Amino acid sequence: MKEDRVLAQPSVVATTNAGPGKTFRELEDERLAAEGVRRVARNRNFVRRLQSQGLVLVFIVVFVIMWVSSPYFLTTGNLLTAASVVSILGIMAVLETLLVIAGEIDISVGSVMAAVSVLLGLMAAAGMNIWLAAILGLLFSAAVGVINGVVTVYFKINSLVTTLGTYSIFLGLAYALSSTSTVSVGGQGFDVLGSGSVGSIPVPVLFFVGIWLVVAVAARHSRLGRHVYATGDNYDAAVRSGVRADLLRVGLFVAVATSAGLAGIIVTSELGAAAPQIGTSYLLSVITAVILGGASLRGGRGRMVGTLVAVAILGVLQNGFALLQFSTYLEDTVLGCLLIFAVLTDRLVRRAER
Amino acid sequence: MNEPNGAVNEARPVQVSEGRTARKEATTLRNALLEARGVTRSFGTVQALNGVDFAIHPGEVVGLVGDNGAGKSTLLKILCGALQPSSGQLLVEGSPVVFHSPRDSRERGIEVVYQDLALATELSVLENVFLGREQRRTGILGRFGILDRNAMARDARETLDSLGIEIHDVAARCGLLSGGQRQAVAVAKAIRWGSRVLLLDEPTAALAVMEAEKIGGLVREVVKGEVGVVLVSHNLPQVHELCDRIVVLLRGSIVANLHREDTTVEEIVMWITGAARSRGN
Ligand SMILES: Nc1ncnc2c1ncn2[C@@H]1O[C@H](COP(=O)(O)OP(=O)(O)OP(=O)(O)O)[C@@H](O)[C@H]1O
Ligand SMILES: [Mg+2]
Repeated sequence: MKEDRVLAQPSVVATTNAGPGKTFRELEDERLAAEGVRRVARNRNFVRRLQSQGLVLVFIVVFVIMWVSSPYFLTTGNLLTAASVVSILGIMAVLETLLVIAGEIDISVGSVMAAVSVLLGLMAAAGMNIWLAAILGLLFSAAVGVINGVVTVYFKINSLVTTLGTYSIFLGLAYALSSTSTVSVGGQGFDVLGSGSVGSIPVPVLFFVGIWLVVAVAARHSRLGRHVYATGDNYDAAVRSGVRADLLRVGLFVAVATSAGLAGIIVTSELGAAAPQIGTSYLLSVITAVILGGASLRGGRGRMVGTLVAVAILGVLQNGFALLQFSTYLEDTVLGCLLIFAVLTDRLVRRAER
Repeated sequence: MNEPNGAVNEARPVQVSEGRTARKEATTLRNALLEARGVTRSFGTVQALNGVDFAIHPGEVVGLVGDNGAGKSTLLKILCGALQPSSGQLLVEGSPVVFHSPRDSRERGIEVVYQDLALATELSVLENVFLGREQRRTGILGRFGILDRNAMARDARETLDSLGIEIHDVAARCGLLSGGQRQAVAVAKAIRWGSRVLLLDEPTAALAVMEAEKIGGLVREVVKGEVGVVLVSHNLPQVHELCDRIVVLLRGSIVANLHREDTTVEEIVMWITGAARSRGN
C-alpha cells in the first residue's frame, strides 16, 4: 500500500511515449485503444453491479437456509436478538470501512474493546461512577487511535504492522490487568446500553443504525467523505488538490478506535462484567464484514450499503450457528471462506477493469 | 496565435552561456508572477537542480525543455510547493514566499498538471475538478458539509464546454475515461482554478494530434488574460510554435533562454543535447 504513495519518480518509459516522433499509425492505434476503453467501460459497471447484487444474493441464500433449518429463526424475538448481537461488530465495521476506503486498516479493534472493558471493571471496582468510567473508556480508546494514526501516518509505517502491534500491546495489558475473579460492572442504569431497548428495538441496534446512517450520508454527500475516497484512491492527487490527507487518516484511526471503545462499553454493559476475552473474536469478523461489503484493501473503493448487507449476512450466520448448535469453531471456518470469496470477487472486478 | 506580447518583448531575455539567466531587466520592468531565484535541489547525492533562476510573466507561455532527468519536473514541483528547494527562494509578484505544500501555492492561483496524472480514478469528473474546493450547499445542510452536486456539475460542464473538451457525463468516474480524456480533465481543472500561473508538465503526452492541438489552443487562450503558463514538453515543434520563450535545462542548470522568433527547433535540440555549449556560444 505504502509504496505507491512515494512521489512517483518519472521513468524514462513513461515519458518517451510522449515523443514528437510519433507516426500517424501509432496515433491512430491510440485513438482506437481509446475507443476500446469506452466499450470496456460498460462492462466494468456491469461487473460492479454483479458484485453488489451477489452480496444481496448471498444474504438471501443464507437467510432462507436458516429459515428452513430452524423454526425459531424467523421470529421477531430471535431476529431482534440477532440484530442486537451483530450490531456490536457493525458499529466497528462502519468506521473500519471508511478507514479501508482511505487505504488503511486497523486490526486492533478487538483488543481495544477488551482493554476498555477491563478498564471499566477496574474503575467500577475502585468505586467510580460507571458513566464517568465509560467516558474515560472512550477517551482511552481515542488515545489508542491517536497512537495508531500518528505512528502509521507520520512515521510511514504500514498500518497492518502498527495495529498488529497495538493489538498485542492492549490485549496483553487487558489480560494482565484483569483480576481472576470477575468484576461486575453495572448499576446506575448502565445495563441499558447493552440490554435496554427503545420500543422493541435493542439499544445496540439503535447505535449501529444511527452511526451507519450518519456515516453513509457523509461518505457520499459530504466533502469530508469525498476526501476519504480521494485519499485512498490517489493519495498524491488528493494532497496536490489540497486535501489534508494525513490529518484525515489520523482522524479515521481515532474514529475507528473510538467505535471499538463504544463497542467494548456496550458489550461490558450487556455482560454486566469486565471481560478481556471479548477481544479475540471480533478481529476476524469486523475485517470480514468490511471486505465482504466490497471495500477494497487497496483503498478508494467501498460502499456503506455493502457493509450493511455484509453485517446482516454475518448476523444471520452467527445467529444460525447458535440456533443450530454448530461448533463456534466452524463459524470461524465459514467466516474464512467468506473472506476469501470476498477478495476473489474484488480481484475479479479489478481484472475486468484492466 | 502569433501576436507577440508587448511586455514580454521589451523584457526579452538574453541568451546566457553558463547556468544563470540574466533576467534582471525583465523583473525591473514588471514584477514576475512567479519567480525562482538560485533554486537548488538535491535528492541524496543526485543534484537535480543547480542554482536555477526562472521567472514567469503575465501573458507569457514559457517552454521548459531538456533531456529526461534534466530537472524539469523537479523545478515545477518546487514552483508549486510539492517539493521544497534545498536552497534558493521563490517570489510571487516580487514578494518572497515559502510554499510548504501545494495548498499554499493554490491559494495564490498557481495550478499544476503533473506529469504523473493527478486524478482520482474512483471519483467522477466533476468531483475531480472540484477536489479540495468542493462547493457546499447553502443553509443548514451546507453547514454539515453536504455538497451541492448540481452546482458543481453545472460549473464543471461549463468549464469543459468552454474549453471544447468532449466528455458526455461529468458524473462519470474518471477511471472510465480514456487517457487523453483524463489529461483533458486535468488541464481543465488547472485552467478552472489557476488565476495566476499554470504549470503544465507534459500535458499533451498522452494525446492524439487533434487533442494536443486543442490543448495548445487552450494555452494560447488562457494567456490572453493575465495568466502565465509554463509548458514542459518533449514535443519540440509544439513548444516552438506555442511558447514565447524557451528555457533549456541541462543536468539541473539553465543553459539557454531563447526567444521564439530568434531560434529554431534545431537550435533548441543543440542546447538540449549540450552541443551548443561546446560550440562556445
Ligand atoms: N523523488 C525523487 N527522489 C530521488 N531522485 C529524484 C526524485 N525526483 C527526481 N529525482 C531525480 O532528479 C533528477 C531530475 O528529475 P526530473 O523528474 O526533474 O527530470 P525531468 O527533467 O522531469 O525528466 P523527464 O523528462 O524524464 O520527465 C533525475 O535524476 C531524477 O532521478
Ligand atoms: Mg518530468
